[in-house]
Amino acid sequence: MLDVILPVLVLGALVLALVGGVRRIRLWRQGRPSPVALVPGLAAMPRRYLVDLHDVVARDREFARTHVATGGGFVAAAVLLILVHGFQVESRLLAWALIAASIVMFAGALRVAARRRNPPARLSRGPWMRLPKSLIAFSSGVFLVTLPTAGIVPAGFGGWLIAALLAAVVAWGLAEMFFGMGWGGPMKHAFAGALHLAFHRRPERFGGGRSTGLVPLDLDDNAATLGVGKPDDFTWNQLLGFDACVQCGRCEAMCPAFAAGQPLNPKKLIQDMVVGMAGGTDAAYAGSPYPGRPVGEHGGSAHSPIVLREGRALVDADTLWSCTTCRACVEECPMMIEHVDAILDMRRYLTMEHGNTPNKGKEVLENLAATDNPGGFDPASRMNWAADLDLPLISARGAAEVLLWMGDGAFDLRNQRTLRALVKVLRAAGVDFAVLGNEELDSGDVARRLGDEAGFQALAVRNAATFARYRFGEILTCDPHSFHVLKNEYPAFGARYEVSHHSSYIARLIELGRLPLSDWAGGRVTYHDPCYLGRYNGEYEAPRSALKGIGIQVVEMGRSGFRSRCCGGGGGAPITDIPGKRRIPDMRMDEINETAAEIVAVGCPQCTAMLEGVVGPRPEVLDIAELVAAQLVAAPVSVPRQTREVAA
Amino acid sequence: MNDIIRRDPRSEWIARNRLHPEHEAVLARIGGGAPVAQWMGPNGVLRRDPHAVGFIGPNGIRRIDRSGAQTASGAARREATAGPSRRLVRIETPAFLVAVVADMPGGRLSAYDRDLLGLARQLADGDGGGQGAVLLVCFGETREEGLGDAGVDRVVTFAGAQFAGYAPELRLTALGGVEHTHEPRHWLFPDSPLGGAELGRRLAARLGERPATQVWQIGDGRCTGRGAAGATDISRALPRIVLALPECAEPVTDTTHAAEPFAAPATLPQIMRRIDDLGAVAVDPAGVALAEAEFILSAGNGIDDWDAFHHAARVLGATEGASRVAVDNGFMPRDRQVGATGTWVTARVYLAVGISGAIQHLQGIQQCDKVVALNTDAGCDMVKRADLAVIADSSEVLAALVDMVEGVRKEQRDAA
Amino acid sequence: MQRDGKRSMTGGQPLTVAALVSVGRHPVTGRPRRAEFDARAVELGLSLAPGEALRLVHAGARTPDSDSALRGYLGMGIGAVEVLEQPEGADVVPALEAWVRTAAPRLVLCGAHGETGEASGLVPFLLAERLGWSLVCDLAEVEAVDGETMTVLQALPRGQRRRLRVRLPAVITVDAAARAARQSAFGPARRGELRPLAAAVTPDREAEGWARTPARKRPKRLKIVKATSARERFKAAAAKAEGGGGQVLTGVSARAGAEAILKLLREEGVLR
Repeated sequence: MLDVILPVLVLGALVLALVGGVRRIRLWRQGRPSPVALVPGLAAMPRRYLVDLHDVVARDREFARTHVATGGGFVAAAVLLILVHGFQVESRLLAWALIAASIVMFAGALRVAARRRNPPARLSRGPWMRLPKSLIAFSSGVFLVTLPTAGIVPAGFGGWLIAALLAAVVAWGLAEMFFGMGWGGPMKHAFAGALHLAFHRRPERFGGGRSTGLVPLDLDDNAATLGVGKPDDFTWNQLLGFDACVQCGRCEAMCPAFAAGQPLNPKKLIQDMVVGMAGGTDAAYAGSPYPGRPVGEHGGSAHSPIVLREGRALVDADTLWSCTTCRACVEECPMMIEHVDAILDMRRYLTMEHGNTPNKGKEVLENLAATDNPGGFDPASRMNWAADLDLPLISARGAAEVLLWMGDGAFDLRNQRTLRALVKVLRAAGVDFAVLGNEELDSGDVARRLGDEAGFQALAVRNAATFARYRFGEILTCDPHSFHVLKNEYPAFGARYEVSHHSSYIARLIELGRLPLSDWAGGRVTYHDPCYLGRYNGEYEAPRSALKGIGIQVVEMGRSGFRSRCCGGGGGAPITDIPGKRRIPDMRMDEINETAAEIVAVGCPQCTAMLEGVVGPRPEVLDIAELVAAQLVAAPVSVPRQTREVAA
Repeated sequence: MNDIIRRDPRSEWIARNRLHPEHEAVLARIGGGAPVAQWMGPNGVLRRDPHAVGFIGPNGIRRIDRSGAQTASGAARREATAGPSRRLVRIETPAFLVAVVADMPGGRLSAYDRDLLGLARQLADGDGGGQGAVLLVCFGETREEGLGDAGVDRVVTFAGAQFAGYAPELRLTALGGVEHTHEPRHWLFPDSPLGGAELGRRLAARLGERPATQVWQIGDGRCTGRGAAGATDISRALPRIVLALPECAEPVTDTTHAAEPFAAPATLPQIMRRIDDLGAVAVDPAGVALAEAEFILSAGNGIDDWDAFHHAARVLGATEGASRVAVDNGFMPRDRQVGATGTWVTARVYLAVGISGAIQHLQGIQQCDKVVALNTDAGCDMVKRADLAVIADSSEVLAALVDMVEGVRKEQRDAA
Repeated sequence: MQRDGKRSMTGGQPLTVAALVSVGRHPVTGRPRRAEFDARAVELGLSLAPGEALRLVHAGARTPDSDSALRGYLGMGIGAVEVLEQPEGADVVPALEAWVRTAAPRLVLCGAHGETGEASGLVPFLLAERLGWSLVCDLAEVEAVDGETMTVLQALPRGQRRRLRVRLPAVITVDAAARAARQSAFGPARRGELRPLAAAVTPDREAEGWARTPARKRPKRLKIVKATSARERFKAAAAKAEGGGGQVLTGVSARAGAEAILKLLREEGVLR
């Protein structure tokens, strides 16, 4: 009897899965078009899955093995099941292989079940609690029904009752695994995930690459909506990416805003986008909510607004403005979903279509437009901090080896100390540098993160034009935000230059022996990785080697390197200032305090400001440039300036 | 009130002569109860009290005057005169009039009004065409006694109840009456939000005269005023109607004038009132925008008892402000943050409780007239900035302050 | 936020509102922008008359700079700004008056003064005088509009308010006490329309002879001491500058501290 039922079941499930898949694809296709390389993408998919994705999954070794067993077993079992039971291919070998695959999958499923017995808070419940049972049902069912095929037990063993029971178990398994894949069950992640990897909007991220710069918006198209106002304003492969989410909550566990009790949870945000794409409410969501926002009150459809000016829609504006754009969620996501891109797309809409940037956002954006700096300072006073330093202006010299980008920290009393320290270091090393002076404008980072793409592009175009007038070898800056924007986001505006963060530049100088340094005699030092230097640009080593160069043994925090926690100063978060239960810098300072360090070394003016804003007692916050400058000994540089210039 | 110094050469001579038998008695009399600097001890030894010697000079330094004229008489000596005496000026038949419509908040001339009268004086006395007179137009009861000292020759008062409150149309009609009867050569208004700016422009529109606004300098028949929201100076021939800025001229200090009352035009044309004043609205000080608030009670990290702080703000009728840290810690809403990163405030009194005074905060209170610091740390920057600093436990002082204010209020109620 | 809950109907008809807008100038950089007070007037207009019932008009010369500044108003969610083209140096009041007579709004809103040119703040006064309308200055908030009158709150210095009933039609000026203008968004600003209208030109003869220079810093008033004797002059010269270095009370009782503070509060007259 099984001989009759099984092919019907398997092929029926297959057909339903196909119908569901087509339906799902149609949901994705509601999004805006986005050109992708179809065939190369599909061809690269297995490698992306096996290497890139599993690199991320393997940060949790235990679960990586579980997933290999379950997922690998399932894929093998599914293919063989279709052959052996669907198309009734008579082969003992295939049947044995199927049995083996189902055993592997079963073993994996048991581990999944074990993890689900007392799941951590980051994991979603709901249908996901059912999944291990379904996996066990599928693998054990397939195992049992294949026993006769493999000739281990005689055909017709156990009579019709057992056969019916088995058929029911297999049907359950098939329903979850095949049908659920296309119709929105937990197994959707396999189908959507595979295609997401194939058609990822940042293919550069695979194979060890890095792609973090935002894509410029086409502002010349008058008819197009700016940014994303409705779910169908996302590109289709973004929607596909949202659908790939496995709700593992690793993003949630890393998100500084979530930990601070601000109304943001990256996992919930992605799920809300899925809700919006398919239509409905978030009532079925079974994970952690946005802190302070009950589940079940939000909903929408693909063609309705995501955020309303007043009242509730799919998400609240506060949720989008809580993000510090620290990329911790993206870094942690095993599915390589681009949360930050999505948030910024929606922010672009809020700022450029609604004109609704919260709190100080409006003021900052207006200042940027009117004075080229967020503080509204007179742009002609940008060089005032260096009145006594006699900094060489590149406009007077036309060329320099290094162009020192001061950033808006030039207007900030605290950051001026860092800049002074950096100038001291550069002079000690005899570096041929110059500054743009009052020709420098804000890099546009804040405008862009606040969604004001138009403001950003205006600044970028003007800065790029300024760069083009001069000759210099590289740009040096002590602001990782400027560093990121100049390095990764300006090339789209024709400004392609070598850009260095001062930590790597100083590390280089120390390595070349160009700095006469004394040895560190101070106390314990820890180092706080700036997001825009670390996660955005992968620079974790240079700051540490610069500190090592002055004899500092960095005491690492529990969360450092790519898992460093944001200071709360990125993405315009201090400007939009969404209230939470705690402040992000306070949490980071707690982690700093755990190291019992006396000094926390930083490499970013934002981090300095945020960490120094923490009420004491707390360690001293010093920039790497300040630490290095303090270790400089007065010994004159061996190579006099002129001869070195000739040599250069 | 006799401020003239009567010198008594004999007692001065005795005061200088330490050996004179009446020396000490005279010293005590001149000193007016001030401690005696030296006396004969019981054992015949001359005793001196070095602290009682000399007097405290105007710059706070003790001065010792050996000439004898000043000995121990610092407290007793009264100022010769309150100020230079003014020359009385009376203009009987002025060649022309310069009308000034002062704001007179509370029925008294403000410093701004006095500047304006000074300007009017310049116009009346200065240019050719004979001696002019300054005509002050007042609305409502005048409580100012020093009109003559401010340089007013004539006063017209429109005192009826109908002119009280906001009645720009009626006031305009009254000014029209003055224009009709006296035809002043110039009309001067303060370009102030208290009413002068509005009334002056209304009159200009009514008379069809193009006024000069935001004027800060007048001379040689020309005037200079700000244009383009303070970005440019516009210099032009002096028009009939001028709206001037504060400190447009020096107030009158040398002369005193008659300030003769002029009868108000007897009948004014009836007008249709298009605007009715429904009265002042009780504004909750807590709801006043920080930037506008007159009296701010501001809280920092040093506050422990927030309920007491809010209570104090209510009792004092102060607008609440806060430092960044107090806001960050969630004790106060963000719109209450004072400082360069919050709101720049312009309060007359800024009472900072438990605020150490970060540079951004001090930047934000630059324009405050009086800063009072209540802090436990005498070395903090806020105390350095403050006009009055009290180094004590802030909650105790606040509680005492609240008690006193409530006590006074209660007395007033009981008395009423 | 009772932005839309306002009773802004006159006999069932939506209140028709016009806002006069000008080209502003940033105080620090001098770049063209929407004028601060005019933008607040538009904000008030949006709260009274959403959508088509609010019309914006600008009278002035058209340049790329002025267009970009006017787009700032469009970015507040306005469909169009009507532009009465006037050459540099024209008197814009007759043109505006003619426009208002044709458009016949019940309410004309404008900023208390402009940010370029003379910026004397006279336009609303001249308009009200010539049209014979009510005029209210420094409006903070419109509380209710019904039929022939409206109830408004007028801003007085230091955050105080006065309630007025004003007969319509009226001209209203708005300054820093009114609600801040909403952010200007790029999308609507780009899509909105600048609708040029032909208008009669009246040259401003009177202003032709004026000399305009960048604002000079005003001299700070010195404390003039009228001294009659050498001693007075010496005292004035040697006296400490007022306010330099405050009084610090250390180790006093809470009561003494409170008394000192209370005295200062009384002197400044901030206790009511």
